[in-house]
Amino acid sequence: MTNTSTAEITHTTNLPWPFPDDLTAFRYSVNVEPARVLRATAGGSWGAHIVDLTNPDYPQVMAERRRILDADPGRTQILDGMMPACWDILVYYLRDLALSYPLSCHLAENGDRFHWRNNLLGTDQTFVLGDLSTLPYDPLSFLGREIPDDLLLVKERDGQLFFDAGLVTFAAAWSVSFDVGMNFREIHGPVPRFTGEGLTSRAELFLMHLPTDSVYRRVNWTLSASGSRKLDVSLEELPEWGGDMPRLVSDRDFGNVQLRIELEHFMRLPMSGAITFCIRTFMASFAEIKAIPAWRDQLAQVLTELPDDLATYKGFIGHRTEAVAWLLA
Amino acid sequence: MTVVSPAPTRAVDPRKPGHQHPSFDTGVRSLVVTAVRELTDAIVQIVLEDPAGGMLAAYEPGSHLIVQAGPVRNTYSLIDDGVNPHRYAISVLRRSAPVPAGGSAESSGSAWLHDYVQVGRRVEIEGPRSLFAPVTTERKALLIAGGIGVTPILSHTRAAARWGRPAEVIYSYRAGCGAHRDDLRALAASGAITLHEVHTRTDAAALLSERLAAQPMGTHAYACGPPAFVDRYLELGEAAGWPADRLHSERFEVPPQDAGLPFAAIIASTGARLAVPAGVSLLQTLLDNGHDVANLCRQGVCGECRIPVRSGQIEHRDYVLSEREKADNTTMLCCVSRGAEIEVDL
Repeated sequence: MTNTSTAEITHTTNLPWPFPDDLTAFRYSVNVEPARVLRATAGGSWGAHIVDLTNPDYPQVMAERRRILDADPGRTQILDGMMPACWDILVYYLRDLALSYPLSCHLAENGDRFHWRNNLLGTDQTFVLGDLSTLPYDPLSFLGREIPDDLLLVKERDGQLFFDAGLVTFAAAWSVSFDVGMNFREIHGPVPRFTGEGLTSRAELFLMHLPTDSVYRRVNWTLSASGSRKLDVSLEELPEWGGDMPRLVSDRDFGNVQLRIELEHFMRLPMSGAITFCIRTFMASFAEIKAIPAWRDQLAQVLTELPDDLATYKGFIGHRTEAVAWLLA
Repeated sequence: MTVVSPAPTRAVDPRKPGHQHPSFDTGVRSLVVTAVRELTDAIVQIVLEDPAGGMLAAYEPGSHLIVQAGPVRNTYSLIDDGVNPHRYAISVLRRSAPVPAGGSAESSGSAWLHDYVQVGRRVEIEGPRSLFAPVTTERKALLIAGGIGVTPILSHTRAAARWGRPAEVIYSYRAGCGAHRDDLRALAASGAITLHEVHTRTDAAALLSERLAAQPMGTHAYACGPPAFVDRYLELGEAAGWPADRLHSERFEVPPQDAGLPFAAIIASTGARLAVPAGVSLLQTLLDNGHDVANLCRQGVCGECRIPVRSGQIEHRDYVLSEREKADNTTMLCCVSRGAEIEVDL
C-alpha cells in the first residue's frame, strides 16, 4: 500500500535515531536543522518527508488516535481567533502529503473547493476552505485523524510565542488542555537547564524569526513512562500508565523499555502567520535497539553519562542503571 | 470538478529544502498582469496572477508585495483577504508631488507602473511579507485608513468579514479620491462591518476621538496613512487611554530623519571596527565593507535590513520593531537606527 518498497521496512528501519554519530553526552540544545533531508542511521534512514506514512504501524496508530479523540474531544484545543490557522495547517499538510505520497494520497483543488483522498485509511472527503459545515470535524481534528503527528500551533504577540491551538493525543506526561494559552516560558518551565541557560529564549527567537520559505526539524527523546508501545502517556491518562514502569522494573522486563523519540517540524504558515510545532512520536524497545550494536552502545553511553537532574526530569533515574546493564549484557 | 493542483515546477534545493508545493513559494518570481483598472485620477489597480494558473501563496491581512517597478523595487500592500489567493491585487498611487532630494526611487517606481504596466505584461515580484497583521486575540478591530493607506486596511476588513470578526472602519479621503470607497461600502452593506467616511482633517480628528473613546475592551486599532495622519491617530489614541501595544500602525512614507552623530560598529565574527560617519547609515557602511545585508526601503518601514546585535547602545529610529523589541537591544534596523559602540552579530 505504501509508495516505497515495503519489503524491508521494519519498526526500526525509519526510526529517526536522536543522536548524531559522534555524540557521547546529551544536553538540551536548540538542535534544529532543515527538514526534508534524508538521513542515514545504523538501522536504516529517515526524514525524506515531513510526515512519515511508511511505518507499518500507521493504520494502528491512526485507529488509536481516533479512539482517543472520540473518547476525549478536549485533546483538540483551539483558542478564539485561531480557526484560520487551523485551515492553514490543513491545506499545507494535505498539499504536502499528496506530493510526498502520490500513489496513496490525492488532493484535487478548484478554488476553495478541495477533494482529499487517502487510500491508506480509506478517506474520501470534499470540503470548502473556511466553511466548517463541509467537514465532519474542525480542520485541525480532520488533519489529526489523517496523520499521526501531534499538531501544535503557536502565535507571536507582544514579542512572545503563545501556544494557541493544538491537537495532542500522544503527549509525554503533559496535557494539551492544561498548556494551551501558555507562553513559551511557562510551557518549558519544568525542563531543567533549559530556561535558566537561555535555551527557551533562543528556541523562541528561532521560531519567531522562522523564514516563510523554509521548514525545519528537531529530534528530542526520552525513555517512555510505559513498557509498551502505548503512545498516549499524557497526564489525562496517568491512571492508565502510572503503574507501568514499577511493574516492568519488578518483573525485570528491561527488553521492553521503550526509547521514545519525538520528531518535531517547524514552519510558518502563510495565511495566518502561525508557526507549527508538530511532533511525531516513534518508539523502539531496548530489545530492538540491542539488535543494532551501534545504537546499543551509544544509548548506553548517553544514559550512563546523563546528569541526575536530566534523568529525573525524563523520568528514568530510578531504573536507568539496571536498564543500561540489560542493554550491555 | 476541475483539477487545478499543479505539479511542482522546481526540484527541491538540497541545501535549502523549502516547501514542496509551488503555492507556498514566496521567492522572486514572475507573474502576469491580468487586469489594470483606473480607480481614481491618480490611483491604478493592478492584478497579477500565476501564468500557469496555479494558486498563489496565501498571506496575512495587511501583508505587502515587493514589486520590481521598472528600475526600482517597491513594496505595495495587498488588498484581498489573503485566503488561498489566485491573484495578487495592488493599488498604486502615482506620486506627482515634487521629488525630494535623494528620494526619487519610490515615486519613479509608481510612475513606471502607471505608464508601462498593461494586461499580459510580466512583472517580477517577491513575497508576500507580513508586517501589519491582526492580533488573533483581539475582540474587535478598529481599522483606520487615510488616503492611499486604505489598501492594507481593506485587506484587514475583507479578512474580518470573511472570518466573521467584528470590525469598524474609518476611511478618510479627499472627495473624488476614495479609491476603495465602493469596496468598503459593499462590505458595510452586507452587514459584515461598520463604515465611517470623512473628508477633512478636522472631521477625521473629531471622528477618531469619538470612535477611539467608544471601543469595547479588547479592541485593537490599526491605522495606515500619511505621516501626519498616523501621528495624529497615535496622539488621539494615547489621549483616549489606549495602551501603545494596541495602537498598530503602518507608514507608507516617512519624514526625513536627521543625519545623526558618527559612531563605531564592531563586526562580531571578525572583530573589525567600522566608522559610521554622520549622515551615512550603518547599512551603507556594512555594504561598503562587503557585508551582504538584505535591504529594501532604507527608511525603517519594511524590516528587510533587521540585523542581530550583541551589545552597544542603540538609538532605534525605525517604525517596525515593537517597544519591547527595541528595549531588548538584540536587533536593529541598520538602515535608519544608529547608536554607539554597536557590536553587530555578522
